[in-house]
Amino acid sequence: MTPLRVAVVGTGSFAREHVVALSQLSGVRVTHVAGSDLGRAQSVAALAPGAIGTTDIAGTVGLDGIDAVDVCNATPDHKRWVIAAGDAGKHVHVDKPAALTVADFDEMVTATEGRGRTLMVGQTVRFQPVIAELQQQVASGDIGDPKLLHVTWYTGHVWPNGWRGWQLDTALSGGHPVHNGTHSIDLAVWLMNSRPVEVFARQFATFAANMPMPDSFQLLVRFENGSLATLELCYALRQPGEFLRRIVLAGTEATLAHSTEADPGLASPGHPVPPASIEGALAAQLAHWVHSIRTKEPFLVTNRQARAALMTAVAAQQSLDTGQPVQIEQTVAL
Amino acid sequence: MRVSFVSGVRHAGPYLEILRHDPRVELVGVAEEPGVPEWMLRDSQHVARRAETAWLPSVDDALDPDRVDLAFICSEPTRHARLAITAMKRGVNVVVDKPVATTLDDADLVLDAARDARGFCSVINRTHSPALRRTRRYVDAGYLGLPRHLDVEFLASGRHFSTSVERPGLVIDPALSGGGELLNFLGYCVDAVRYLTGLEVESVYAMTGALFGAGHADRGVEDTAVVSLGLEHGVTCTVTVGRVAFAPGLGPTSSSIRLLGSHGHAVVDDDKPAVLRYGGHPALSAHPVGGDGSAVALRLFLDHVVGRAVEGRAPDYGLADARAGLAVIDAAYRSVASRAVCAPAKRGGGTADGAAEGSAAGAGSDAGAARIGVHS
Ligand SMILES: NC(=O)c1ccc[n+]([C@@H]2O[C@H](COP(=O)([O-])OP(=O)(O)OC[C@H]3O[C@@H](n4cnc5c(N)ncnc54)[C@H](O)[C@@H]3O)[C@@H](O)[C@H]2O)c1
Repeated sequence: MTPLRVAVVGTGSFAREHVVALSQLSGVRVTHVAGSDLGRAQSVAALAPGAIGTTDIAGTVGLDGIDAVDVCNATPDHKRWVIAAGDAGKHVHVDKPAALTVADFDEMVTATEGRGRTLMVGQTVRFQPVIAELQQQVASGDIGDPKLLHVTWYTGHVWPNGWRGWQLDTALSGGHPVHNGTHSIDLAVWLMNSRPVEVFARQFATFAANMPMPDSFQLLVRFENGSLATLELCYALRQPGEFLRRIVLAGTEATLAHSTEADPGLASPGHPVPPASIEGALAAQLAHWVHSIRTKEPFLVTNRQARAALMTAVAAQQSLDTGQPVQIEQTVAL
Repeated sequence: MRVSFVSGVRHAGPYLEILRHDPRVELVGVAEEPGVPEWMLRDSQHVARRAETAWLPSVDDALDPDRVDLAFICSEPTRHARLAITAMKRGVNVVVDKPVATTLDDADLVLDAARDARGFCSVINRTHSPALRRTRRYVDAGYLGLPRHLDVEFLASGRHFSTSVERPGLVIDPALSGGGELLNFLGYCVDAVRYLTGLEVESVYAMTGALFGAGHADRGVEDTAVVSLGLEHGVTCTVTVGRVAFAPGLGPTSSSIRLLGSHGHAVVDDDKPAVLRYGGHPALSAHPVGGDGSAVALRLFLDHVVGRAVEGRAPDYGLADARAGLAVIDAAYRSVASRAVCAPAKRGGGTADGAAEGSAAGAGSDAGAARIGVHS
């Protein structure tokens, strides 16, 4: 089997994890790591045997010698490189949030799917073992129709680079509902299999009162089929790496529940490891991406779902800005 | 302590069961109003018989201050306020089943009546839950820093409807219940939030649905709600309540709270810690340490009420607390109707701090004791 030749765009901390995960997949070769800083590009490229570090991003995504591009740089530049890669006829993977606006996302889909290639948004949470199990339970029909979802998601995390971090700038990250909220919103869209039509949001800052992008927020979501969700996110638990996630999904016939409080695992000070229920997600996600490109099987993450989730996240930020609920005009079916 | 019941159609069974085993309590009997539907009469008589207490000829007998010290109002919710006012006017101490009233106006009438009453007026609540009290101690000790957010979930199993509720109509027929599960459950959540933080709710947004097919949709009331509360000082709160098919606990209801503070977080779960039993019937069962959370919270509150009444003092949960909860429920319903964020209405429609409202003015009651958050 000829390897799938992948160029990675991005040299930040998540790009590093992508390169490590991709280079461990059989049938994949990371050919390039492209970013704005040569030293960083080379150091990330060094994680994949034979990969070249470069600052020529435009030249790289257009190379004949590559089949696919994995865009995992900072969010504001996702659009530019996804479109460039699509224009060059490559399959594209883009990290979440795919874009800062739905209009941008639509252009990205047109530039890839519209040209007979593919675009998959990296909704990593769907590939967590416990989420896969939840979805299987839903898909089996045993819980009836899912009607009420409650996701509690608390973690100890501080965005890197202090006040210089791009994540703190809502113009660059989209705000917290877009930046991290797309994880749980996408999860909700997937599990409830319906489009959100209304969202209400509140936020608070635990760490610093004047933080432009507060560390925590909560959403109430109403779906087109009438079902409801409470989605809470807090990135400000006291201990870095500390994690509490609880999911309750009530269906018409049964209720599913999982909490990381119940995960067996490691207790060893100074060695934070992810709970067993979420480990290995990125590797599974990228393996799925590669597999689906090869087999032409549909992606687990559809762009219609990703679009509905992004639209909801943008509406949630609007709700934070205005203090009012926002009705969402979903224009594309799931 | 001589105790009577006015109506026994809702929740009277478990209350009587606890009270009849309290050595300080002498049950006087149960009475029902004339003109109520036949089934109400039968149900009230039934709970009297079950508790081996007298069937009183009239409500007058149940509220006679020469024969009764404390009257429980256990009618369907839409009669609560009127019966509570009648009882207070007769001069007995009163405990009303929750919700204290089904409209805020009615709750204010009850508060007005309490002003001139000789006895206290309290309302059934769950704030004596050991898990809640433990967490309050953590807050008071400063272990959590300052509270930033609370997440409250209270779910009941619709599949247990026929065994957990005397008659479904008491919950889903608005003529009896006054509303749906928001009215039924949100008050508990607001009580817990006020008890833990001492903060009042300033703004409310809610979304509701009739999603689980236990009959709510037919009656036009909600079985499920998600609610966002803005508290004083920018503290936030999410509430998820409902009568779903199966609550995520091993009993008929499940209730849990997550409290995020600036310096730590805590989880409250009424049914944990628990011992699990594998095997037998059912094949898996949980046995909460110290007993079923809801039952323990009720037993401890009634124990507190009787203890306070014996001392001539009002319970630590008063009408001001119940009104605060109902004001949030009222705001939640208004937000559902208007699709806008609503503020809980202060008493008299003014902007005065509702929390400063006096407590039930029971003889010998300590003024602050009826307000959650002030009680030591
Ligand atoms: N799927 C997941 O679970 C997951 C996890 C983490 C990050 N992500 C996503 O991956 C992407 C990269 O995140 P990261 O954590 O690696 O961030 P990072 O800050 O570590 O890396 C981003 C890089 O882009 C550079 N940069 C900063 N601002 C920029 C701008 N305005 N334009 C261009 N470059 C800029 C930074 O210097 C940095 O080198 C983001 O879209 C993020 O949302 C996804």
